[in-house]
Order: sequence, then structure tokens, then C-alpha cells
Amino acid sequence: MKRRQFLSLAGAALAAPAVTRVHAQSAQTVRWWYHFDNPQQTPAELVAKFEKENPGIKVQAESIPWGGGNDYYTRLYAALIAGNGPDCAMVKLNNQARLVQMKALEPLEPYLAKWAGKGDIADNLWTMNKASDGKQYFLPLQYVVLYLYYRPDLFAAAGVQPPKTFDEFLKAAQAVNKDGIAGFGMRGGGGGHDHWGSFVLGGGATFDKGGMVSDKALAANRWFVELGTKHKVFPASAPTDGFRQIVDNFKAGRTAMTIHHIGSANEMVQALGDKVSAVPVPRAADGKGWTSFGDESNAVFSASKAKDAAFKWISFLSSGANNVAFNTFTGQLPVTTSGAANWTLHPKRFVDASMQSLPLMGVLPDHPKTADFTRTVWPQNMQRALLGQIEPDAMMKAIEAHFHG
Amino acid sequence: MMTAATGPRIREAVRPFLFLAPALVITAAVIILPAVQTLWMSLHDYVLFRPDDVPFVGLGNFIKALGDEVFWLSLVNSFVWIAACVGLQFLLGLGTALLLNQSFWWRGLARALVIIPWALPSVIIGLMWTWMYDLNLGVINDVLLRAGLISTPVAWLARPDTALASVVLALVWQGFPFFAVMILAGLQTIPDEHYEAAEIDGATRWQQFRFVTLPALKGVIATALLLRIIWVANSLDVILVMTGGGPGFATHTLPLYAFLKAYSAMEFGYGAALALMLAALLLVVVAGYVRRIAKEEVR
Repeated sequence: MKRRQFLSLAGAALAAPAVTRVHAQSAQTVRWWYHFDNPQQTPAELVAKFEKENPGIKVQAESIPWGGGNDYYTRLYAALIAGNGPDCAMVKLNNQARLVQMKALEPLEPYLAKWAGKGDIADNLWTMNKASDGKQYFLPLQYVVLYLYYRPDLFAAAGVQPPKTFDEFLKAAQAVNKDGIAGFGMRGGGGGHDHWGSFVLGGGATFDKGGMVSDKALAANRWFVELGTKHKVFPASAPTDGFRQIVDNFKAGRTAMTIHHIGSANEMVQALGDKVSAVPVPRAADGKGWTSFGDESNAVFSASKAKDAAFKWISFLSSGANNVAFNTFTGQLPVTTSGAANWTLHPKRFVDASMQSLPLMGVLPDHPKTADFTRTVWPQNMQRALLGQIEPDAMMKAIEAHFHG
Repeated sequence: MMTAATGPRIREAVRPFLFLAPALVITAAVIILPAVQTLWMSLHDYVLFRPDDVPFVGLGNFIKALGDEVFWLSLVNSFVWIAACVGLQFLLGLGTALLLNQSFWWRGLARALVIIPWALPSVIIGLMWTWMYDLNLGVINDVLLRAGLISTPVAWLARPDTALASVVLALVWQGFPFFAVMILAGLQTIPDEHYEAAEIDGATRWQQFRFVTLPALKGVIATALLLRIIWVANSLDVILVMTGGGPGFATHTLPLYAFLKAYSAMEFGYGAALALMLAALLLVVVAGYVRRIAKEEVR
């Protein structure tokens, strides 16, 4: 190779990255990870609208398998640690602490200060999504609240009213627990901590130190386990039933009550018509209660090289009509006040039950061990307690030990 | 400085390694490196969401496992799992192979059909069997109820006394075609003359099977058993889909426990230690397999 030839080639090689960088600036690409319960839904329409409004930004929307949350987060953590993470992604509160500890998130305050849509999202949603270090990393996107589905026809036949308290819940469950129908379709498999939470966290247990082993907490948990072991108002498959089983059992008329959110309302109505309705989950005797707030936000990652563009995209998804369009894909509820006002995707009784549940809503602690609690510690111990392999109190001690050593 | 004579000799000595180099590099990249990394992780308290704080704990993870009740439960379940899955797959596979070695007009079709379970992805098999076992909507309960064998539906996967057996059955269904195909191939290598000679000597069908068929299949069976033990010992996909290890710890096996520790608790250090302990146990089987192969090659 001649010397001049070599030099010009080397020069070209050196210049290449600079050229691509200039190119990248002229058309920035935002990689966004999302998951929809229904994989046939696609955000393509919204992406097209955004790209039209924001020439120069391309959105690469990547659908990531959810797998109960664990598949999604395992991939997300691995990608972030490997330095190949997305610019922004859909995230939930139960993983916020881990992501903060990894220093993976970008605080959104500077962006939010300049964003006109901030006021259209209710204050309690902002507070709910704040991290324990006081910063705002999450931009709310959609939400659901868990409530109690029940069968008005079976309740009328048994002469009971939808329950408002734990005592009424037990009476109602016993009254309809016959002819191959179980009173309450309890979820003992993955995700079932939400069911347990309504009765045990609602009954006084907390995640603070000692909060799982207080007298009140132990009594609430004993009462809940006995619904299955003593009163037998759960189906026999309850220990391993997951989302699909509780919904299908309810639709098939095998259970008279279950707890889930508005995301399953339309398929319930399709199967049961007006023989399904909903009320907030029952409360403890002292009037307190707890129901799971199913949150979903977007976050921008600190390693992103396109943070401004990424925020533009996620704020686009959380504003007005776009947020309504987004939630018609996911079947959840819009976070904007303007969007909620004209919501028609679900029958009104389920939207009402959701709204009435807001005062009860809570989230699991923002703790690095919460994700493992929901995936393994809770199901393993709940299942053993329901099967009589351990005492209910041992279950609460195991949860206490998981969080507080 | 090199003399004229040593130059070519060194080149001669290096040459085989140059030829081997591509294979060695690939083996190093996909096997040796990950293995060394696993070993490194197992000696550290490596938690994925705490990447800046990875203290060295020596054999701490291994000692922790020995005192861990779930480790021992999983180990016992692993032995039951391997013995039941491989044993039943073998018996069913042997029976199937003997049937498929008979001549009947749709034998070709039967041989193709029998391979289907083996060709299906494990996750599909897990989901399929989960719904077949379902308490309210499952076909197994429905058939047993109609046949009058049970009076109320059984929650097969939610009872600690039936969960492991139920998952084993699903895996037996998935794995028996492997044995069937291997043994069938072995059967076809046995010359007919052996059976004719045995018949002339007055051997019954059972004696023919016992003294002609089985000895001739010994090599195939031993190899298939060893391979299958290694695969079944490592497999966790079907359990993960069907029960996730539950109810309680009823279907926890060692690889599943290691997987959950790594990917749910994000305790990669402890998960790596569990995986290495399983690997050490399996090395005994692997050694048996390698010795067999070596012997066959010498022959």
C-alpha cells in the first residue's frame, strides 16, 4: 500500500464516527421498551403521529415480553448493565428502588418544569410516583385499581349484599359457596399478593420493621388463611391459580367473587353480561382498607444519549388525546383529567368502582427486595400456609425476615 | 537465535495447534469463559441491582447452601425428578420402540407421529398440560369425573402430593420419543439370524427379548440413559411454566432454585454457587458418558 493511500484510508476511518454523529443529530432515534397485555396491539399509530409532529426524531418501539413482570425486568436490568439499554421504557413502581440504586434513572424535574401537560395529571398520581429520595423519575402513563368483582345474580339468589367489611365478605362468600361454585376466586400463584394485601395489609399489616408480626397483622393473616383452610371458600386450585385461572373461573361461573382490575372488565361482560358487577374491596372493622394501585409510568434512563427526545416521546404519550389513545390499546385508565372525563372504553359501573377505590389504593414498598417478595417469597409461603404445611404466623415471620433480616 | 534445524521443528510442533485454534477460541468464548465467570460470581456476593458493591465471600455461598433448607428439599426433588422422568421415559420409549419395530401397514405414519411430543417447544408443553390439569376447565378432571374414577375434581398442580408427579408425567410425555427413536434404531441393527437361532434353540419370546434383544441394545440404552439424565437434570422450563416450583417448594428442583435465586432475587452469586453444585453432581454422570464414548471409539 502506498503511503498516501494509507493516510487517506486512515483519515476516512477516523472521520467516519464523526460523520455518523452529525447524521445521528439530524435524525435522533429514541429506543422505547413497552409491553402490552395483548401482544396484537401496537403503538405504531402513535409513533407515526409523534414522528410527524417531531421531524428529526425517530421512535424505535420495542415490544418486550412481560412474563408477569420478571421477564421484562430481567431483560431491562441486563440491558442496562450491559450498556445497551433503551433510552426510555415503561416501568412500574415496584422496581423503582432497584433502578434508583443502580443510578439508572434520569430525574425528570428539569423537563417537567417546562412541560405544559404537567397540570393535566392529578397531584396524587405525582406524589404516588415520587421516589424515596424525593425525586421524580416516573412520568405516569396509565393506571388501574383493583376492586371486587361479584355476581349480582348469585348474590340476589342467596339474599346477600355486596360486602363492605371483612365480616360481610366472609358471610357473602359462605352464602354463595355451594353447587360447585367457590365463594372467592383467590389467586395464590404469581401476582396473588394483591388479593392477600386487601385483607392483610388492609387488616393492619405493614412493611415497616415489625409490621408483619404485630398482633393485628398476624390476626389478619390468620383470618385470611382460614378463608381457605377452615371456611373453604377458595377453590381447591387456589394455591397455584394465576391471573388467567381466576378470570376464566369467574367467567365460567365457578367462582362468585374475585379481585382484579378494569383490564378484565370487558371480557367478563362478554361472558356474563349484566351478571357481573364490581364494588371496592371490603374494609377492616376499623374502616381502614387497602387495594393495589396498578401503576405504569415511563422513565428516561441516565445512560441515554437522547434524553431530550426521549422525554418528548414519553410526555407525548402522557398528554390529552394521546394518553386516551394509548389506554385504548392497553385497556387501562388514562392518567389525564381531561382524558378520564370522556372515557367510554369500559361500562360505567367498572369505572365507578375504580374511582370509588381510589381512597384505598396503596402500593408495595419501594424496596429492592419487593420484586422477589412478589415473585417467590409471597407465593411460596402463602401456598404452604394454604396447604397447612406451615402455620399462618410462620408465613408472616418469613415475610418480615425477607425485608428486615 | 534460531538454528536452521529447530525452525521447521517448532513450526511442526505449532501447526496442529494452529489448526485447532478456531475451535479452541470458540470453545473458550462460549464455554470456558462463562464457566470461569460463574466460578467468579459464586465466590462473590454478587447482586445484580447492586453492581457497585460486590464483596468477595470465598466459599460463603456454598456454606450458605449447605445450611439452606430449600437447597436440600430441591436436591431431594431433583433426584426424584431425574429417576422418575428418565426411568418412565425409558420404559415407555422401550415399549414404543418394540411396537414400532413390528410390521403393520401404517408403521411409517406411526413412527412420524411418535416424534411430535419431542418436537414441541417445552413452553407449549407446559401450558398445554397446565390447562389439561386445570381444576375447573381441564380435560383430565373431566374425563376422570365422567368415568367415575373421582367424585370431585382434583387440583393436580395445587396439591403438594400430586404436583411433582403431574409435572413428571408431562415431561415423560415430552421425552419418551427420544428413547423410542434411539432404541428403534438399535433394534434395526440386530440381525434376524440371531432370533432364528434362538427360536431353533427353543427360546420363548421373553427369552429372546432377555437374551438377544437386551444385550444387543445395551450400548444404545446406556448412552441414551446417560444423555437423558444430563438433560433432564438441567431442564427447568416445563416446571417453571407449570408450577413455578410450587405449591410451596413441592416442585423445586436444584436448577429451578438456582434460576429463581438468580433471576428473581437477582442474587447471581448464590445462584451461581447452586448451579456449580449441580454441575459437580452431574460431572459424575458426564464422566460415565465420556468413558463410554471413549471405549466405543477404541473398539
